[in-house]
Amino acid sequence: MANLRAVGKSVDRRDGVDKTTGRALFTSDMTFPGMLHAKVLRSPHAHARIVSIDTSKAEKLDGVKAVMTHKNGPKNLFNAAAPMFLTVSNLERVLDQYLFDEIVRYVGDEVAAVAATTEAIAEKALSLIEVEYELLPAVLDAEEAMSENAPELHAGKGCTPEGKNIPGEIIRIPYGDVEKGLKESDVVIEKSFTLPIVKQVQMETQSAVAQVSGSGDVTVWSTTQTPHPSRAILGQVFGIPASKIRVLAPPYVGGGFGVRIGLSGLAEAIALGLALQAKRPVKMVYSRKEDFIASDTRHPATVTVKLGAKKDGTFHALDLKGIFNTGAYCGFGTELPGVCGAMTLAIYRIPHQRYLGHSVYTNRTSSGAMRGFGNPQGNFALEQVVDMMADALGMSPYELRLKNIMKVNDPWCLPFPCLSTELAECMKQASESIGWEKRESLKASAPHKVRGMGMAVGTHVSNAWPFCVDYDNAYFTVQSDGTVHVASGVPEMGTGVCTSLIQIAADAFGIDMDRISLSFGDTLTTPFDIGSHASRTCYAAGLAIKEAAEDARAQIFDYVAPYFDVTPEMVSLQDGYVFVSSLSDPDAASVVSLDDVKEHKQSKVSLENIAYHAHVRNKQFISTGKIVPKNAPPWHVCFADVEVDTETGKVDVLNLVAAHDVGTAVNPMIVEGQIEGGVVQGLGYALTEEIRYNDSGVQTHSNMHSYMLPTAEDIPPMKSIIVESHDPTGPFGAKGAGECSLVCPASAIANALANATNIRFTELPATPERIFAKLHPQN
Amino acid sequence: MNTKLISFVLNGEPVSVRVDPFELFVDVLREKLQLTGTKKGCGEGGCGSCTVLINGEAVNSCLLPAMRVEGTSIQTIEGVEDNGELHPLQTSFIEKGAVQCGFCTPGMIMSAKALLDKNKSPSKEEILEAVSGNICRCTGYVKIEEAIEDAAKTLRKAAVKGESHG
Amino acid sequence: MVQDYVFPGTVEQAVAMLAESKGRARVIAGGTDLVLDMRDGKITADKLVDLRAIDGMQRIVEHDDSISIGASVTHSQIVRSTLLRHHAPGLVDACRKVGSLQIRNVATVVGNVVNGNPAADAAVALACLDATATVVDEQGTRTIPFNELYAGICISCINSSCQIVTQISFPKKKAGEGSSYIRMEQRKALSLPMLNVSSKVRVINSQFQDVQLLMAPVGAGPQHAVTAEDFLMGKDITDENIRQAGVLAREQATFRSSAVRGSKEYRIGVLPVCVERALRAAIADAQEG
Ligand code: FES
Ligand code: FES
Repeated sequence: MANLRAVGKSVDRRDGVDKTTGRALFTSDMTFPGMLHAKVLRSPHAHARIVSIDTSKAEKLDGVKAVMTHKNGPKNLFNAAAPMFLTVSNLERVLDQYLFDEIVRYVGDEVAAVAATTEAIAEKALSLIEVEYELLPAVLDAEEAMSENAPELHAGKGCTPEGKNIPGEIIRIPYGDVEKGLKESDVVIEKSFTLPIVKQVQMETQSAVAQVSGSGDVTVWSTTQTPHPSRAILGQVFGIPASKIRVLAPPYVGGGFGVRIGLSGLAEAIALGLALQAKRPVKMVYSRKEDFIASDTRHPATVTVKLGAKKDGTFHALDLKGIFNTGAYCGFGTELPGVCGAMTLAIYRIPHQRYLGHSVYTNRTSSGAMRGFGNPQGNFALEQVVDMMADALGMSPYELRLKNIMKVNDPWCLPFPCLSTELAECMKQASESIGWEKRESLKASAPHKVRGMGMAVGTHVSNAWPFCVDYDNAYFTVQSDGTVHVASGVPEMGTGVCTSLIQIAADAFGIDMDRISLSFGDTLTTPFDIGSHASRTCYAAGLAIKEAAEDARAQIFDYVAPYFDVTPEMVSLQDGYVFVSSLSDPDAASVVSLDDVKEHKQSKVSLENIAYHAHVRNKQFISTGKIVPKNAPPWHVCFADVEVDTETGKVDVLNLVAAHDVGTAVNPMIVEGQIEGGVVQGLGYALTEEIRYNDSGVQTHSNMHSYMLPTAEDIPPMKSIIVESHDPTGPFGAKGAGECSLVCPASAIANALANATNIRFTELPATPERIFAKLHPQN
Repeated sequence: MNTKLISFVLNGEPVSVRVDPFELFVDVLREKLQLTGTKKGCGEGGCGSCTVLINGEAVNSCLLPAMRVEGTSIQTIEGVEDNGELHPLQTSFIEKGAVQCGFCTPGMIMSAKALLDKNKSPSKEEILEAVSGNICRCTGYVKIEEAIEDAAKTLRKAAVKGESHG
Repeated sequence: MVQDYVFPGTVEQAVAMLAESKGRARVIAGGTDLVLDMRDGKITADKLVDLRAIDGMQRIVEHDDSISIGASVTHSQIVRSTLLRHHAPGLVDACRKVGSLQIRNVATVVGNVVNGNPAADAAVALACLDATATVVDEQGTRTIPFNELYAGICISCINSSCQIVTQISFPKKKAGEGSSYIRMEQRKALSLPMLNVSSKVRVINSQFQDVQLLMAPVGAGPQHAVTAEDFLMGKDITDENIRQAGVLAREQATFRSSAVRGSKEYRIGVLPVCVERALRAAIADAQEG
């Protein structure tokens, strides 16, 4: 497209006014006549069998309209995450949960649910349910769960040669001959790293409202990131045809970060189950504590890296292994280890590589998707070892990376080519911004403090393929007044799709953004799409919209060409006017009607005129875009400058700089927001955020006061730099931008800590406590 | 339980509503008065999404017994626009990209408004302190801080010109 | 289940209203902790007696030799008080650390103490100031020393179903005196202290006279680091003596591990440097005059 009018501009968000005035509607705001409120009774035990459950007293309580337990709940096995529906054809789906089961597998697992006229009554009813449990042996640690004596979480599932409790596939990525490569290396460094359980903590807790019509049609308003897959999963859980179910976000979702890919916790399913029973609308809003203990976390993991290099710093072999604690149910337990391996192997050009990764069931809250999806775990481990390698070789970490990073069309393990990378430029700009050249002469602000700088680099994907099914569609309708309606299945969870997709549509079609409206996040009004995740929304949904727009353009050109008396190829559309490109300057041309244009070929005709002209002749321009996205790697770096109080272990991050190659930045302000938000999540991953368990399997960090999210006062000076490239596979050259920002900060901060203290931290978060313990081993 | 009638000024208009003796104000706003702009992200004082102004001071409405509101003046996000015109904070939040999912935004704007109503030239530290009880998981706070600074600038200019923003 | 919520206009009325309910009523001050404790069922009450409408309770009052903080005074009021910035900088620093601005705007300092949490920021800062509390109940009005407010770990001596702490008072700063407050925290806002230390010193001719050194959470209420205090009395202000005070405090302290707020090992490990920093800050305050 010659002239970009919308793409590349930091236009204001479409949802800005509603969101700043309190008018924006979220699931938790929804209310309906006769609506009931749901509450869930959750297991206090990490692993137990429900011997008996008596709900009679609860049922008798005034105001209670429905009670559901394993006795009367649906009996279809499912996977609450999107793999239920998006598992690629060469992998087997892992279906391992019932909505309510006789066995509970973690503290927080669903035992019963109640719908009542008020929340207070529902709460009271829960306290009247009598449950007798038989305690079963529980296992929390992944290593232990793989051992021979470990209890089996899902009878008969997951017994493999690698150990017990391993759900789904063991992911192996072979590339070259790693044994040979390690032997040929001059220096080999091996180290293991431990990554914590962290949580998305999106600000709106998991919520859903379900309504069933008299004829059995189901509508579910939900906080989902994936309306269409959520619909399919609900259909499977309840045995209801997907075509009878409508899932939509109403219209906004209060953050996601991965926690709502598939079902939102189980909010949709619980609300629907109760609504089917009560024949009234049911609303289920997770409390913050429920959200913490009963919706997916990031996978805690142990990642081991063995990196071999030649004396001159050329990487020669990389052997990577990742063990992921997936908790009570598999969820993304197969896909995520795959992404970890692929994204970690893809950063550097290394001839001999190998990856082995898998999940392990344990009796803790299920792990699932969280921004970065396995990538931060692998990146942290590899980027620590790269710095160790630099030390061992006496090279600067910057030079060592520069020497080995992937270049355009370099061979790699992924089944799509690397067609764009500005990683070297990202490194250059970020290092200049932070003052990397001063790294050797940094001065701390006090005698008891030490200071250091670190960096890390990485990549990611721009859609879910080849790890999940990924294709996309869009509807494109030119109304009879010449304005455009676009429909795309992705929801708006904060990432700005309701604006950036319109920017893409505007430039792909050739009219002003103001003349386009967008339906999104609703299975009834939009075509199938796999949802907002995998950094795919702009890339994949954007491509579908672009294709649809181009089709509609072509239809219009075919229609008008005879009136202009030219061939369709000679016609163009820009700023809402159609003209013959070779004859007129659209900015200067006069406007005529389509019927008159033959006489005034250098003039232009408004879309409004054309659409109406067609309309009264029984014709409308409607198109669909149907695409299978390729994939493309975004690239990114983070640099950190830190100071450590050696007497207390406290870290002050003095500066963070992130530079990202996201292809074309469709809306630079939105991209910056994605970078800044992710960097701060990475800061939390590095230094403060962590959920731990006590020996009985109870989460000790399960509210906003104990889970240490960064606050506004914890934010260091930060800079985000966008380095544009043009990826030939993306819409207008765009690549994924949503997830990268969270991947590198922890790696860079830990490298800076090592530079400051000469200690390599192998466990996150690097809390004052962990740092102090390493600095003062005698204590 | 004897429910009580409480009366207060809500966004400039007198309101009376019956509440349970220990009902929390966030629920009164969201459920009884249908003012769902005020959000409830945690219900435990840990996120600030429920922030409202009581006599001009920012408080967590999820920790506020509704009875406490008797006789006070309350401002919520629904009362920030001035005669249908966006407040400079709202404009700046949009223009500076300080809004993503929007769930923290009402509380964030209320905290910022409490600050700017008293201090139109806040330092960066004062801005960050003002919103330190408002968790935003989307933006990383950078653009929020910029937006508040920008709104302060607009308010200062308006003050010179003698306009008012309530 | 709360059946009633009342606003007495005087202390006498408040005491009578509590007495009426025979243990089933409870005082509510800021309520930021109480609301959560009641939601979680840790505290139950039929009636809440709100002190907000009682005249005078919202004030920080300067007397000839002392300052008193009324039961309804919020943390934000303390943070803004220039009077307290001069006389009790440690208390101001401590109050600034509590929760968030929204919480500080509501939570009261007296409530922070009456709660009984040994490491409550304001409580630890007050503990070094020779503070006293005025307690009113049906028996009358008494003044009790600060350290007698604690009955056990997280157990207050104040029975909020029949007693009201109307104010906390402490002597004004005199020549040569200084005070301070130090805490370790996991983030800068919305966090409880991992451990905290407060100190008040009187410095004459570069020597320690009168040293109050308190630490928490190491027992019921903030605890005096007695051996360190004794050791410093009459000693010269030297790096060595200050360091030694930290070592002595560590020998005395018995921390417990908290999954959320720090391990025993860490707390013990950093206590000496927190003591040193508190002492240095108190000395600096003393020397500032
Ligand atoms: S809802 Fe009130 S602070 Fe989170
Ligand atoms: S914009 Fe989503 S939490 Fe702030």
